[in-house]
Amino acid sequence: MTGSASAIQGQSLTKIYGSGNAEVTGMEDVTFSLSIGEVVALLGPSGSGKSTLLTIMGLINAPTSGKLLIGEALVTDGPVAKVNLRVYRRKFIGYVLQKTNLIPFLTAVENVQLALEINDIPCRAARNRAMELLESLDVVHRSGNLPYMLSGGEQQRVAIARALANKPMLVLADEPTAALDSVRGRQVMELFRTVAREYGATVMVATHDHRSLDIFDRILEMEDGRLVSQKQANKDSPIGQD
Amino acid sequence: MQFLLDSFHKAFLLLLHLDSEVFQIVWLSITVSFWSTIFSASVGLPVGALLALKDFKGKSVILLLLNTTMAAPTVVIGLFCYVLLSRVGPLGSLGLLFTPSGMVFGLFILATPIAANLTVAAIESLDKRLMLTCELLGASPAQQFWLVIKEARFAVMAAVVIAFGRIISELGIAMMLGGNIRGFTRTMTTAIALETSKGEFELGLALGFVLMAVALFINGLLFLVQKERS
Repeated sequence: MTGSASAIQGQSLTKIYGSGNAEVTGMEDVTFSLSIGEVVALLGPSGSGKSTLLTIMGLINAPTSGKLLIGEALVTDGPVAKVNLRVYRRKFIGYVLQKTNLIPFLTAVENVQLALEINDIPCRAARNRAMELLESLDVVHRSGNLPYMLSGGEQQRVAIARALANKPMLVLADEPTAALDSVRGRQVMELFRTVAREYGATVMVATHDHRSLDIFDRILEMEDGRLVSQKQANKDSPIGQD
Repeated sequence: MQFLLDSFHKAFLLLLHLDSEVFQIVWLSITVSFWSTIFSASVGLPVGALLALKDFKGKSVILLLLNTTMAAPTVVIGLFCYVLLSRVGPLGSLGLLFTPSGMVFGLFILATPIAANLTVAAIESLDKRLMLTCELLGASPAQQFWLVIKEARFAVMAAVVIAFGRIISELGIAMMLGGNIRGFTRTMTTAIALETSKGEFELGLALGFVLMAVALFINGLLFLVQKERS
């Protein structure tokens, strides 16, 4: 179920890369609000500003202007950080990328464990929590394998487990199914719905994959750096009716 | 020709009988090189990682200086350190000139840029996603450093081995800062230079064989590291 309280809000967010003649507008005047537990798709062609928006929401990039609030807290006011962004990233945000970016020399369970240890969880407790997460995402049988030994779908599951490790209030995924076939892609998308339901996280997924839109509560669409539409997703689908 | 054969023969005898002077010189060379490498790696690796991971004002100047130091003749580094350590120099009160510690200091100055530069190259060749992952996970700079060094461990190990090789085969700094004092600061390279200048090749050749064996060992180690990496 989605709550009405806001998990994250953007107010007139603009991002300009470069300066002078080399200035490029990555995103312009984007305003949005995501509720707690909401699962949102972010659509748009390549270069429309989806990744820019996600990196700003993920506190990787600072906006040139505009405000970003997480919960009630003002996180950035233009390029000025109002909180310790590293701590916010660690505690409140889980990020899943198109290419899974698992650390190649760590096993599946160590990749998940790492996110916990970075957050000062003791080693043994981190290990247990990592195994629990891998089990809940049905990939525990691969816990001792290095990333290259896993299939694309398994890697993405481990990446999702890692993103969930610190029980983030916000999970951001940038084209998480781009490297997967349609069946695996669908499974991963359904996982995000499960994540929102079971962990109470707000999820935003940037995607080109129109076949899985029934999974989402709401669809935002970007074009040329602007948010051009926000609409409720088709709720007739059984998956959408949770 | 007979003279050469005699020299080789005597050199082998020195090694075979574990001549105490040869042993002392080899031991000092290895000890001084070991500590110089430890200190160089302790400074060079973090500095290299910092330069590779962080963008800041003056970074390119530091990189340029490091590259220049790498290419600087060792006698120039030796001269610079001599001035620092001499009685009238700023570090003269430490009394390090013509001591093994003074040699360690000079060799540290020589090898730190090598360790730093090779660490920069090792980290910059890593998959950029590792750094992004560290950022995304909210890792602290110390945690990022540890992860990056772990991922680049083979190249970093190679950097340390190369630094050791450079140190143990160095002559100018060891000569200028150690003074080639028999039984105290005489290393393999300074002894080879001295014995050759005297026209007495046996000891020089014996030490030359040891030095070649060390070079072979270092290259073998590098080969194994690179094999493991691939």
